[in-house]
Amino acid sequence: MKHLLSATAMVLASATLAGAEGVLQLYNWGNYTSPELLEKFEKETGIKVTVTDYDSNDVALAKVEAGGSGFDLVVPSANYVPIWVEKGLIVPLDLSKLPNHANIAPEWKDVPWDPGRAYTIPWQWGSTGLTVNTKVYGGDINTSAVFLEVPPELQGKINVVPEMNDIVALATMYVGGEPCSEDPEVMKKARDVLLAAKPNWISMDYGATERVSNGDWAASVNWNGSSMRVRLNTNGDVQYGYPKEGYPLFMDSVALLKDATNVEEAYKFLDFIMVPENAAMISNFARYANGISGSEAFMDPEMTNAPEVVIPEEFKAAGVFLPTCTGKSLDYITAIWTELQK
Amino acid sequence: MAERGFQISRLPGFATVAIGAFVLLYLPILTLVVYSFNASNSVAVWGGFSLHWYADAWANEDVKAATVRSLVIGVSAAFLSTILATLAALGTTRRRAFKGQTLIYVVINQPLMVPEIVTAVALMIFFGIIKVATGYQGLGYLIAAHTAFCLPFAYLPIRARLESMDLALETAAADLYASPWQTFRRVTLPLLAPGIMAGAMLAFVISLDDVVITEFVKSGGQDTLPTYMLGQLRRSFTPEVNAISTMLLAVTVVLLTAFFLLTRKKD
Repeated sequence: MKHLLSATAMVLASATLAGAEGVLQLYNWGNYTSPELLEKFEKETGIKVTVTDYDSNDVALAKVEAGGSGFDLVVPSANYVPIWVEKGLIVPLDLSKLPNHANIAPEWKDVPWDPGRAYTIPWQWGSTGLTVNTKVYGGDINTSAVFLEVPPELQGKINVVPEMNDIVALATMYVGGEPCSEDPEVMKKARDVLLAAKPNWISMDYGATERVSNGDWAASVNWNGSSMRVRLNTNGDVQYGYPKEGYPLFMDSVALLKDATNVEEAYKFLDFIMVPENAAMISNFARYANGISGSEAFMDPEMTNAPEVVIPEEFKAAGVFLPTCTGKSLDYITAIWTELQK
Repeated sequence: MAERGFQISRLPGFATVAIGAFVLLYLPILTLVVYSFNASNSVAVWGGFSLHWYADAWANEDVKAATVRSLVIGVSAAFLSTILATLAALGTTRRRAFKGQTLIYVVINQPLMVPEIVTAVALMIFFGIIKVATGYQGLGYLIAAHTAFCLPFAYLPIRARLESMDLALETAAADLYASPWQTFRRVTLPLLAPGIMAGAMLAFVISLDDVVITEFVKSGGQDTLPTYMLGQLRRSFTPEVNAISTMLLAVTVVLLTAFFLLTRKKD
């Protein structure tokens, strides 16, 4: 009995000790956080990070908005950051507590969805482009014509991911417009080119990593990280194309919640992930680029050389962060998408 | 022939349809099991035989924690909802029909009718208020939510069993001066036991399976096995998910077999 009591006392004591050393609640996309990163953070600071998964921006937003979520940090996508700010769910960061803020790469220091990086720290970013089996199609893959004016070799063999914003934006830029255009002429052209191309698509579905790898599809509109895995699965026959007419970029960034309870721990974590070596751990795990200068030196060589991760200089300018479309443009996009689904 | 009456198994094509149905049911599961032994990191391209995904899943702390959490919630919710369902079933069958009985059936079975997402959002908002007011973030919310939606699944088999049980036995016990408690303890409960077991098993499986409500109700660090697996969607699945599913499948099969053997012996 005495043993039991002292054992219980010890367990309780260690529990309070752990409490004193600090905890942190990170709410992030599933399978997106490197476990080694969290281990290293705990070793250096004594702070235990608990990760909880979500699978869509909307679920994360709804849960935090309902209140009492208990999370400290969240990782929304670029086009959702303004919504989190507007609803007052995330707070501006105190840069004096983030000495490593200077490590953010110049091109990510001032971004349209978060001017001056007042609210968010880069986590990972990537692009939407084309995954093409070059054994089937040997032509130019750096153009949206691959799926909008499908070449004969790819007819009936190309898939298009069912992502409304990405696909309509690709078509809008292909016909010479801007994403979220409110010009009815431009949007009509985008609609026409999509509807004309659709009969040549095999499907509108997810799962390109698997289905291009096993040869079910010869090509797909796809994300860069997925495309890299296909290339590694298939001994290099599959390449990633950056549509020169314009292609969407995405970035997920970490933000501090207004009702966070472990604020000091959260700042320590934010500063920690801006150390190049640590940012590289994030990338090595989830296979996307991270936006911290100098992290390349610590990344797996197969990533630092990957044409899917490092955007070739000539295609850099064509990458666009999609704004949050509203009003008339959103009506057009929804109408086009509805028609395309028929 | 005619005197044997109508038998569905004598209809032409019965075997073909039955085999077809079994193939449709089990072929996908078989594929999942086969690819859990895949050496490559793909769930669709075969790269040779390997057990390393099992080793990965076994070594994955997140998977272990999520499994334990799923089991704790499932057992608690099955236990609580079965007790409540048994009481409800006794209250709605072992008495004369009363006004508003149908209404009570509807209320008890409400989780079956209301779309899951509606319950999920309602619970998220409701628990949100409580979480802010009390600061409590524990597993209690998930257990309460699971108990609520498991209730009709436990209730239906128990009620069905009660309705098919002969009232004469209970009446006879009462005639022989058994107190209501003795009647319940010695007559009703033993006869009802298979119904209660069936209800509890069903409730446990339904709880283990749930994604939508759990996703909306869970607090920090409360991923269950299904929400953990859902979270893997952003990146592509690896055969690790197949390995986890196969192990879960094996546990279920073992449990069901054990349950079947135990109940058969008693009969």
